[in-house]
Parts: sequence; structure tokens; C-alpha cells
Amino acid sequence: MAHGVVGQRFFPATITTDDPFAADELALPTVSSFDHETDIDVDYSKTIVPGFAIGLGIGHVDAGSPGEPRERGFGNLEISPTLEVARDDQHEFILSAALDWEIGGTGSKKVAEPFSTYTPTIKFGKGFGDLPDSMAYLRPLAVTGTVGYAIPDAHDEAKSVEWGGAIEYSLLYLQNNVRDQGFSNLIAHLTPVVEFNFSSPTKNGGGPTTGTVNPGLIWSGQHVQLAAEAMIPVNRASGHGLGLIAQLHFYIDDLFPHSLGKPLFGGRK
Amino acid sequence: MRKLSLIGLAAIAWCAAPAEAHAFLQHADPGAGARLAIAPTKVVLRFSEELEPAFSSVAITDGSGRNVAAGPVLIRGNAMLAPVRLLKPGTYRVAWHVVSLDNHRTQGVYGFVVKP
Repeated sequence: MAHGVVGQRFFPATITTDDPFAADELALPTVSSFDHETDIDVDYSKTIVPGFAIGLGIGHVDAGSPGEPRERGFGNLEISPTLEVARDDQHEFILSAALDWEIGGTGSKKVAEPFSTYTPTIKFGKGFGDLPDSMAYLRPLAVTGTVGYAIPDAHDEAKSVEWGGAIEYSLLYLQNNVRDQGFSNLIAHLTPVVEFNFSSPTKNGGGPTTGTVNPGLIWSGQHVQLAAEAMIPVNRASGHGLGLIAQLHFYIDDLFPHSLGKPLFGGRK
Repeated sequence: MRKLSLIGLAAIAWCAAPAEAHAFLQHADPGAGARLAIAPTKVVLRFSEELEPAFSSVAITDGSGRNVAAGPVLIRGNAMLAPVRLLKPGTYRVAWHVVSLDNHRTQGVYGFVVKP
């Protein structure tokens, strides 16, 4: 998750993949149901100084195949410091570096791994507002992406490349920067999005690449955001059937701009 | 269910709390991409949040990049009004940047056309 503004571009928070902003925000809850598993997650991110935030995440897992007893419990606590390393307003571009740390043994033994996993990650966002006039209707497009290398703190576990991203088309950008479509406020704040999220083990025997492609909609208001996406597995190893993920997301920087929503040190960027 | 209700109540209370936010453009006249038979005498922009006048402005330029303002930009509440000179047929560019009262910055650019 994360939301932010670069130049003329507002990037809503994506719900399956992380995007590149260090922001003050709360995702409560993110609910997903996919392949006989239901997860309820909470994620909070706090800016420490402008451009640097620390995220905390935890989730409840309820999983089990048909005919087998279900296993329930909390997953491991995850900590994710994120540092914005480059911004270009004119080209609506942002690059950040993060370290996702899943702390082994902090969750329930039934559903959480006993070992930690460290995932150094590069994230980026790019809006296409700099396209020429002949391609004006593509200017509302934007992409975000993330590539990380997951290193489990257990010798018999496979390392993997965790990669994903989002392709989004902002109706707000279309309305305000390209051509006024006469959209109502409700419609103008919609962003059709397709997210994708993959895991590719890097050693033989680690299994095939798995992941989902998630088409959906994000509605971003002044202080909150609602999003829902379908989850489509890319192969048999990724799961069976269609899933669903939905999120209620609070922009803490907009809700509490003078207290909880501003960086602990250094004021607003 | 009780937990979900509590979360819902907390969410409603949170959203009802007084807050400011990014000022997004809600309405523009002329709007983005408009093709006008009659030249406008002003550009009016309305935003989702109240503006900080000292740090908010708009520039309207013609196809050669010349400023076509006919006077100072007026800012009141969440609205901005920029009077313009008599515009000849051609393409014009509106570039705005605003700061909301809580110091969030936003900006935007769009064009409109005055037809011959």
C-alpha cells in the first residue's frame, strides 16, 4: 500500500502490491478470499522524516482444503521501512528502496513460518502525463512496480524473486488534465486498475513461478479509499478458482495533517 | 460480527472528524480540452479544499507562451478566478498550483481552444 502525489499525478494506494510512497496511512482491513484461504490484514505506515516511513503489518489467516481441518491464527508481524530515493515531478516518476522483514515466530505456529524472511525491494511509479498531444488519452495511464529478493533465514528454504506491479487509468487525470468528460465527483475519483503479483523461486526444486493477476477498481476520496479486485491465478500452482480482495484505506496524512499524519521530524515535503 | 461493527463505527468516527486534505481540482471553467466558440473572459477553478492564497496561483498562456492575464488572480475559499484579456482564436494553457490549508501541494496543467 501507499498513496502519494508526484507532479500532476495522484497515485492511489494499490492493494495487492506495494507502491513506492513513504506515506502516513492505514489499511483496515484488507480482506481476501482465495484458494480456500481467507485473510484479514491490517497495515499501518508512519513517516519518520519526509520521504522515509516505517510500515507495520499483521494478518489473520483462516486456511484449509475441503475435507481437511481448517487452520487459523495470526501470521508473522512484518516491518517495512521505505525510503524515497528519487522523484521527478515533470515526468511523474518516483523510485524508492525498501526492506520487508517478516519476523519469524511472531505469529501462530499453525499458519506462520518459524523463520524470518528479509526482502530488499526496489519500487517505482511512473505516470504518463508527459506523452505528446497525439497520445493525450494515454496520459491518465500510470504504472507502479516492485522487485524484491526474498531471503529466508532458513537454509532449506528457497530464495525467490518477488515481483509485481499495477497498471492504472486515472479518471481524475482524464477529467482534469486531458478532457473534461462531465464526470460526477463519484465517477471522477475512480481508477480502474490491474495489479499483478508473482513469486519466482531462484533454485531448482523451489517450484514454478506463482502469482495472480487482479483486475479491479479503486475509489479514492479526500480521506479514505475503497478498492476491490478479482484474483485470477496464473497457473495451477498458484491456486484454484477466482478470488476476491477488498480494502478500506485511510489517508492518515489527510485525516490528521497536523498531528499523526505528518512526519515525526522535518515537517511536510 | 461485533468486532466488525466496532471497526465500522471507528471508521465512521474517523471520517467524520474535521480534517483537511490534498486540494484536488473539482471543476474548471473552461474545462480541460474545451473547444469554445465564444472566448471566455475568465478562468475559474474550484477545488476540493480551501486554498492557502499566498502559495496558490494559476497562469494562463497562449500558444506562444505569452501570459494572457488581465489582472491579479483572486482566491477565496476553495475557488480561484483569473481574469483574461480578449482571447483570439487559438490554443491556451492553464497551469495551476495550489497549497491547501494543511500544506499539501497539488498542481495541474490543461489546455483549451478558442475556435475561429
